[in-house]
Amino acid sequence: MATVSQTHQPPGFRDVLFARRSTVVALVCFVVIVLACYVLPTLDLTAIGKMSVRNRLTPPGADYFLGADAFGRDVLGRLLVAGQTSLQIGLGVAILSSSAGIVIGLVAGFFRRLDTPLSRLIDAMMAFPDILLALSLVAIFGGTVGNVILALSIVYTPRVARIVRASTLVVRELPYVEAARALGSSTLTIMVTHVLRNILSPILVQATFIFAYAMLAEAGLTFLGVGVDPSTPTWGTMVNEGRQYIDNAFFLILFPGVAIALSVLSLQLVGDGLRDALDPKLNKET
Amino acid sequence: MAKYLLRRFVGMVVVIILVLTIAFVLVRLAPGDPAALMLGPDATPEEAAELRTRLGLDDPIILQYATFVGNALKGDLGESLFFNRPVTSILADRAEPTIFLALMSLFFALFIATPIGIYAAYKRGSLLDQSSVTSAMLAASIPSFLTGLVFQRVLATNLGWFPTAGYGGPDADIWVRLGHLILPSITLGITNSALILRFTRASMLDILGEDYVRTARAKGMPERRVILRHALKNAGIPIITVVGLTFALLVSGAVVTERVFNLPGMGNLVVNAVLRRDYPVIQGTLIIVASIYVLINLATDLIYFFIDKRVKY
Amino acid sequence: MSVRKSLFALSSALMLSVSPVLAAGTVNVAIIGEPDTFDPMVSTKDVVSIVTQHFVETLYTFDESWAVVPLLAADMPEISDDGLTYKIPLREGVTFHDGSSMDSADAVASLKRWLEVSSRGKSVADKVAGVEASGPNEVTITMKEPYAPLLSLLAFSNSAAVVYPEEIIAPEIETIVGTGPYKIEAHEPDQYTQLVRFDGYTQPTGAAERKQVPDEIRLIPVPDGNTRAEGLLSGQYDYADGLSTETYDRLEASDAAEPVLLQPFGWPVFAVNHKKGIMMDLNIRKAVQAALPFDDMLFAGFGNEKFFKTDGALYPEGWTWHSDAGVELYNQNDQEKAAEYLKAAGYDGSPLRILTSHQYEFHYQMAEVAKAGLEAAGMKVQLDVVDWATLAQNRNNPDLWDIYITHSPFLPEPALISSLFSTAREGWDNPTKNEILNRFTSESDPEKRKAIFGELQKIVLEDVGFIKVGDFNALQGKAKGLTGVNPSPWPAFWNAQVSK
Repeated sequence: MATVSQTHQPPGFRDVLFARRSTVVALVCFVVIVLACYVLPTLDLTAIGKMSVRNRLTPPGADYFLGADAFGRDVLGRLLVAGQTSLQIGLGVAILSSSAGIVIGLVAGFFRRLDTPLSRLIDAMMAFPDILLALSLVAIFGGTVGNVILALSIVYTPRVARIVRASTLVVRELPYVEAARALGSSTLTIMVTHVLRNILSPILVQATFIFAYAMLAEAGLTFLGVGVDPSTPTWGTMVNEGRQYIDNAFFLILFPGVAIALSVLSLQLVGDGLRDALDPKLNKET
Repeated sequence: MAKYLLRRFVGMVVVIILVLTIAFVLVRLAPGDPAALMLGPDATPEEAAELRTRLGLDDPIILQYATFVGNALKGDLGESLFFNRPVTSILADRAEPTIFLALMSLFFALFIATPIGIYAAYKRGSLLDQSSVTSAMLAASIPSFLTGLVFQRVLATNLGWFPTAGYGGPDADIWVRLGHLILPSITLGITNSALILRFTRASMLDILGEDYVRTARAKGMPERRVILRHALKNAGIPIITVVGLTFALLVSGAVVTERVFNLPGMGNLVVNAVLRRDYPVIQGTLIIVASIYVLINLATDLIYFFIDKRVKY
Repeated sequence: MSVRKSLFALSSALMLSVSPVLAAGTVNVAIIGEPDTFDPMVSTKDVVSIVTQHFVETLYTFDESWAVVPLLAADMPEISDDGLTYKIPLREGVTFHDGSSMDSADAVASLKRWLEVSSRGKSVADKVAGVEASGPNEVTITMKEPYAPLLSLLAFSNSAAVVYPEEIIAPEIETIVGTGPYKIEAHEPDQYTQLVRFDGYTQPTGAAERKQVPDEIRLIPVPDGNTRAEGLLSGQYDYADGLSTETYDRLEASDAAEPVLLQPFGWPVFAVNHKKGIMMDLNIRKAVQAALPFDDMLFAGFGNEKFFKTDGALYPEGWTWHSDAGVELYNQNDQEKAAEYLKAAGYDGSPLRILTSHQYEFHYQMAEVAKAGLEAAGMKVQLDVVDWATLAQNRNNPDLWDIYITHSPFLPEPALISSLFSTAREGWDNPTKNEILNRFTSESDPEKRKAIFGELQKIVLEDVGFIKVGDFNALQGKAKGLTGVNPSPWPAFWNAQVSK
């Protein structure tokens, strides 16, 4: 344990978060992507969604900065709008699965009697490979954005719940939590004020990764034919639509592909940075 | 120790029953009448009603559930609506490509990731360390079907180094079949090597920080020998762990990879089943794959338990 | 570096053992999916026809110019003057794959089953008075009223009137036994159907020879279009069905493969719900017809004029059935006129629900462009893009859609177009149309039938019974050395020669 022997104060959250150049770059990159998707379309620099079938598959150039798709729609404009949906899916899954995971994990960690059944349930849910479970769920619910978010949240909830439970088990034994209990604080108060505050950081890290995985999973589901229906643009549906033009218009899969890869990569790097910053024990990795 | 083993075993049985329950509930959630679905559009309501009775779909739900679990534990997962064959026999036919694909890609992933991970840990903070970690993450950030499509396109169709798709056909011997798995395995292996690389690197860093390694260093043992003698010997445990961890990841990836390369494995089967609304097959695959995962997890834990006596339970 | 080298060495070593699979005499065909049955009576899917035509046979079949010719029948039937009795002589010495020989009892039992279980058989069942064996090698079909398309129905490989041994006839046939030039050797669902030459085969008298050239035909289901193209280009398949027109240039440039363009192949169609919903109103139907930008729809779907033709006639030029009647109503692309129709209909802004699937990319693409055109006319449009299984299920429920998108090859006999019949799921029950259709099916003089078909086409356009989008060409692909396969929506491989 490299840091144990150090006597000086551990570096602050921000110092650690920004110490690694890759984290900073990733964070900037992700913020730029988000801003682009949400701000640029409002400026109406491009006629988004306007079809001009005769211009289909125009390569990137002066008329279409990133080219035109099979309907003669501007790829850049579509990329930005699709990005909103893809980011919503990622964020939606991250928030939903974290919230559900926190509740389940806290309950399991706090109430001994519920721990075993809940833990076994978590184990059972985690035994299903994520794409396989998501595929079945979306097939059953139907391919809308909301259903994809719901299905992926069901897939990732146990992962969060497991982490929350483990952290709760540690935190509940900490002296000041014991003290709070001795002072007569209610279980709910203790759970919310003490435990939750303490376990927020691992959850935040996990949520960042889930955000990334959900965006990847969405693309995968679309490829398998059960994702969001193609009339709703997401980066996943764009890549998938572009597949058949791989010969004549490679840019149709290139740009949304890059958008997915960049977002997922930067989220993962940010997640790494967050983990290091929030958990000083892991500082040795830098 | 016996007590620990017993506890693990009981836990496993409970988890498998829960897996069955989840799969049961999942398929019950599906809209539409399974009997009408099985008979197709031309069926009369009377025919549908007759089939419902025959399939026991009109029984109380609790009875249906009990029958389902009872049959499943006896190894009967029902019959495919599309193939009119027992789900278990279909799954048995489809297991080989998936198992080989998972093993081969695991092999490729270990082959790529372990040395790089060790080296990256050894040279931590260096440009090589950072770039290898980042590129591994990048590889894992690209949707795997894209990687597969590009590989298929370039390495198989254009360069002709590998078969493009399929599993070799009726008279393919084991070598031909394995030949058809090389490219899919590399595709899947690359995607999954990121996790293994990071895991190896992290556990190497752990070990390099251990007292006995520092002692060895302090005694003036050359770094290379420190790595090979002490550190590598202890990297075995994390690798076993990661194998268990990546199983689910491999199966998930296999679904997409099998689709790209048209391999007749369980992943492709389940996607087809979804597109054909063949619920018994979806259900059966979920159950079998989840149960295998549970067993592998148990096995890795047990190996862990026997190898590493330091672990306290 | 060495890692890569050894990898290549390993793979090339394995490739050596891969090549002998493509032994001479084996034709590998990539088809679009696993046939859900080997019984072509109960299925109307093209992929079922492609596979099963090799091992089961009908009494009649079509030749290259879509004329009906005998296959299991010895000759064309003897039709009575009133058009009510068909005496069909059977070929002698035809053996089934199980070794038994075919006689009239087998044919009668098979035809009776066809009338009961197949969708096309059911459509004529009420016009058939009886099917009897009028000799050991002769079958007589008696009709209640003249029905000119009967022979085409008997010849069609789709919902096909194939002949099985009497012994295996059952509502559901487990193991198919046929008379075809090939028989099923092995079948691994989702992997391959392996067909081998049937040695007891005797050549038909009228139809094109089935020379039984390849020792083996392997039909390999490859659901993904990209993968079918890649496999064909790399030489793994000798023939690939259902390729995206986007791969045309690549196939043309390839040394290993070449494109097979079926020109014209068929027509995409917007099927119209006449049973329920807003499309029951003629003015709404006319509004939709007027608003649709057919040019752009076809362009978006097929990308290049090489692959489609903006054509409103139900049969393209060059076909017997070609007619110009009513085509001025096609491709008006006039959203203002459409708006007037909407006004006349008192359109209340309720959404027009277009049901389509992404199984066929061009269906969805046409739907997107259609939506833009309809919206320009002031309609609200709801696109329901689902997978094919859902579409196939939902289209049977008239509550769920106003238009669904499908396509059909140009069929040798217009009476095979099911949408024309009021019993079809669209439920187009216009009395004038019904009267014309009745005249059409009972008329036996070809010239008169042609004229009546013009009337039929006119009413399709005037009453907007369904909306034909245009003509399109389909792309298949074959290995450079492959000969003996006639381009067809249902390609057959008994004469296929692979030179490697």
